[in-house]
Amino acid sequence: MEALDSLFHGFGVLLTFHNMVLMLIGICLGILVGVLPGLGGPNGVAILLPLTFTMDPTSAIVLLSCIYWGALFGGAITSILFNIPGEAWSVATTFDGYPMAQKGEAAEALTAAFTASFVGSIVAVMLITFLAPWIASFALRFGPPEFFAVYMLTFCSFVGLGKEARHKIVISLTIGFLLAAVGMDTVSGELRMTFGSVELLRGFDFLVAVIGLFGISEILLAMEEHLAFKGQEAKIRFTVVWRTWMTLPRYWMTLLRSSAIGCWLGVTPGGAIAASFMGYNLAKRFSRDGASFGKGKIEGVLAPETAAHAAGTSALLPMLALGIPGSGTAAVLLGGLMVWGLQPGPLLFVEQKDFVWGLIASMYLGNIAGLIIVLATVPLFASVLRVPFATIAPMIIVSCAVGAFAVQNAMFDIWLMLGFGIVGYVFKKIGIPLAPMTLALVLGDKAEDAFRQSMIGLDGGLGIFWSNKLVGTISTLALIMLFWPLIGKAIDMIRGSGRSAPGAASSGSSRP
Amino acid sequence: MSDDPNVGVDPALVSTRSVEVVVMALLLGVAVFLGWDNLRIGAGWAPDGPQAGYFPFYLSVLLGGASVVGIVSALRHPDLKDEIFVGRSAFGRVLRVFIPTILFVFLVQVIGLYVASFIFVALFMIVIGKLSPWKSVLTGLIFSALMFYVFDVQFNVLLPKGPLEAAFGF
Amino acid sequence: MLEKLVSKRAALVAACLSGFTVSSAMAAWEPTKPIEIIVPAGAGGASDQMARMMQAAIQNNKLSPTPIVVTLKGGANGGEGLMDMQASAGDPYKMVISNSAIYTLPLANKLPFDWRKLTPVSILAFDNFVLWVNANAPYNTAQELVEAMKKEPAGAFKLGGTGSKREDHILAAAVERISGVKFSYIPYKSGGEAATQLVGDHIKVNVNNPSENVAVWRAGQVKALCVFDNEPMDYPAKVAGDKSWKDIPTCKSQGIDFQWIMLRGVFLPAGVTPDQVAFYQDMLGKLVETKEFKEYLEKQALKPSDLKGAEMVKFLEQDEALYKDLMTQSGFVAN
Repeated sequence: MEALDSLFHGFGVLLTFHNMVLMLIGICLGILVGVLPGLGGPNGVAILLPLTFTMDPTSAIVLLSCIYWGALFGGAITSILFNIPGEAWSVATTFDGYPMAQKGEAAEALTAAFTASFVGSIVAVMLITFLAPWIASFALRFGPPEFFAVYMLTFCSFVGLGKEARHKIVISLTIGFLLAAVGMDTVSGELRMTFGSVELLRGFDFLVAVIGLFGISEILLAMEEHLAFKGQEAKIRFTVVWRTWMTLPRYWMTLLRSSAIGCWLGVTPGGAIAASFMGYNLAKRFSRDGASFGKGKIEGVLAPETAAHAAGTSALLPMLALGIPGSGTAAVLLGGLMVWGLQPGPLLFVEQKDFVWGLIASMYLGNIAGLIIVLATVPLFASVLRVPFATIAPMIIVSCAVGAFAVQNAMFDIWLMLGFGIVGYVFKKIGIPLAPMTLALVLGDKAEDAFRQSMIGLDGGLGIFWSNKLVGTISTLALIMLFWPLIGKAIDMIRGSGRSAPGAASSGSSRP
Repeated sequence: MSDDPNVGVDPALVSTRSVEVVVMALLLGVAVFLGWDNLRIGAGWAPDGPQAGYFPFYLSVLLGGASVVGIVSALRHPDLKDEIFVGRSAFGRVLRVFIPTILFVFLVQVIGLYVASFIFVALFMIVIGKLSPWKSVLTGLIFSALMFYVFDVQFNVLLPKGPLEAAFGF
Repeated sequence: MLEKLVSKRAALVAACLSGFTVSSAMAAWEPTKPIEIIVPAGAGGASDQMARMMQAAIQNNKLSPTPIVVTLKGGANGGEGLMDMQASAGDPYKMVISNSAIYTLPLANKLPFDWRKLTPVSILAFDNFVLWVNANAPYNTAQELVEAMKKEPAGAFKLGGTGSKREDHILAAAVERISGVKFSYIPYKSGGEAATQLVGDHIKVNVNNPSENVAVWRAGQVKALCVFDNEPMDYPAKVAGDKSWKDIPTCKSQGIDFQWIMLRGVFLPAGVTPDQVAFYQDMLGKLVETKEFKEYLEKQALKPSDLKGAEMVKFLEQDEALYKDLMTQSGFVAN
């Protein structure tokens, strides 16, 4: 096969001592920036970009992409240990990862998260290896109506899941949407809800909100109850890794589903964040034991991590093949490509074989090396829970502040983070779920833009969402998802069984 | 909330019901304010689709409606009245973290992040953790120095700096 | 307006006359801490690419004694970055790479920003606008496109561009007035998005900068109909198959008599000393001579420029008047 030949050529390019060393350095740096809230992914890559200017493009992309893999792995660590997402896409990992850590299963949760990341990435890389041209042309079929339908599908797979009172879910969703709308409106070119303030011009950044809502509020809650994080000290042995692995084949369906969701959303820039939420929600919806999600179920860690990493990896494909970045990090890498004198686009695969296949080969090797490195550090990270609360808490607050600041270099964002911390604390205590807000905040303005772009022109009207097979299928799927609880009940009634609809129980919130 | 370990020993500062009503009322206020602002920039449906204020306006309406439902249901729910939102001593502990955090952010603005985090970490460990002073100061010092080395020296990340860094020419 | 581009020597003289001393020897002021390049645009966009290239060229050629840091402040179409610069008076460690947002934002959004409150340093390049259609479209010239449009109801052709009430939108409105046609203008977040949407046939036309469409042009997925300038671009090397940038005819020759170019210029905050300005002019003067910068210009098909000092201010004033006029005609000015 031609792809295999090219791939082996890529391995040949990669397997020099120099490149292998760069790879290891990249992964370790990546894990480091991934662990610090707010500093991972795009920021980490952007910070390290200047180091690569004097390197040849292949070495440079190996270093940077390995930082990316490292950050992808590292984001899960603080989510599980402290309920503080190190990366935006690991918000969904906190839902079950943190409860697992509280039960003393931190090592199992970390192992599951890392392995799931690995599976997701590898599936996405294989997709890139063998189907790159086909996928690139598939992505081209996405116009505004298709994008809107995808966002709808993400929302609809979410609504109706929580057990919280309906009005509280609505409150959470609408706040998220409203926050997302602050700033410049793309379609009309007008400023909305900025009230003449310069600080509000940039709108609300997702990461700042997440760091406050989850990170700061968790420290306040921990303080209120025990003056400690609730993570149990776990006895950590390497056998944990092996034992956890033994249980994984049982969840092949979850892994497969999440990989597929992730690849799809990564290629059609829905992004890793949307993918992680959708992966989690669908796993919960289709699980035989959906009610126990949110209480520390390993499936709830596997599903979002697999999806996020499949998306994060496949997001590189549109960047390389079309020149449009599928994620923030991909956008920074795109800038890097230009600096090294490469022109991303359809011809990159033809003209820069060494570079492209070197990169793809580094995705395989980088992920394998990354998995080994992070697994080896599981005991180290899990032992962080043994550090006294009074020592670790201020350090977490400081790194939250650094993260919030670094997102947009704005002092105001640190204050904003504190504000979101209070909101998160109060909302968690009065039972307003935070997950719908974060989802709406990240996808809200994209969905609105896509909807309004669809409405422009002579064919603009609601019919456009069923105007061809592709968009019609996605829209219909979205509606099925929306009414799934009803459909599930109907199916149960037909079967005559007494059990309740699978989706109608349990909460998406991290607090039991 | 019912799993609060302090129930019974910690007198209530405020009930969940009061907090819920206050939060909902605040949200209602926000909704009215935003709704009005979006109406101002145009919340209709123009020939080329919804105007800039269309979605935010109806979202504000939804938010307002949901807050009203929230107020009513909180008032009609008798259990909530007795449920403790936070106990006195628990709230005291929360403030013991939150007030220093606010001071820390304020310090960042005045004297820069590195010095502020040294003071914050060291004092937090001494006052709240009751750890030995020299250990605390040393931890704070190492932590800040390490951050400075990583962010400023190695990677040129421009974090807020103050007079001390300036005195050393950074 | 490009005939008015002066030669390098004339620009130097003009800069000297305007009071900025450009000495050929080392400037009196030197930075002692990292210099921040503020990019008032999102990651991966044309301004970001330019900043990264400058960062690389300056560091590789050791043009600055201290490192260069790129900071993205793309909120509100760059309004965030511009306001930040305006608020940083006297700080010689911040420079901004700006485009025509310095005129459009105050006009369309009443943003309290005025480029006169910054210190203009130099314009490094001008970006062209090209009329692009899908490669499978039946028309090969701008006339054929206009004729095809006149056969369809008004608004049947979708034209995609970056943002609303900005350069692409203004240009589209000007073409509409000159040719007597009507587009449905679809605002996207970036030129890259407008490029792929054109390839996917979700829009019929875009007016992207050369750099935004070059990848898909080379892959034979789009066709260039004409360039909105007085003369064809001066890059004769073959880029897309047997086509070079120079082969693209001017829109004027195709019956759309309209010129439209966009500056890519560098500003410092207000209140910096002449010494500091001289340092930056000296550094940027060396920058445009580097191999990296020249390659970058050719790759992005940018028009070289060496406007600075008084000439630059004069250009900015004329350009702003042009924007104001066009935006008023199109009804884009906020009242």
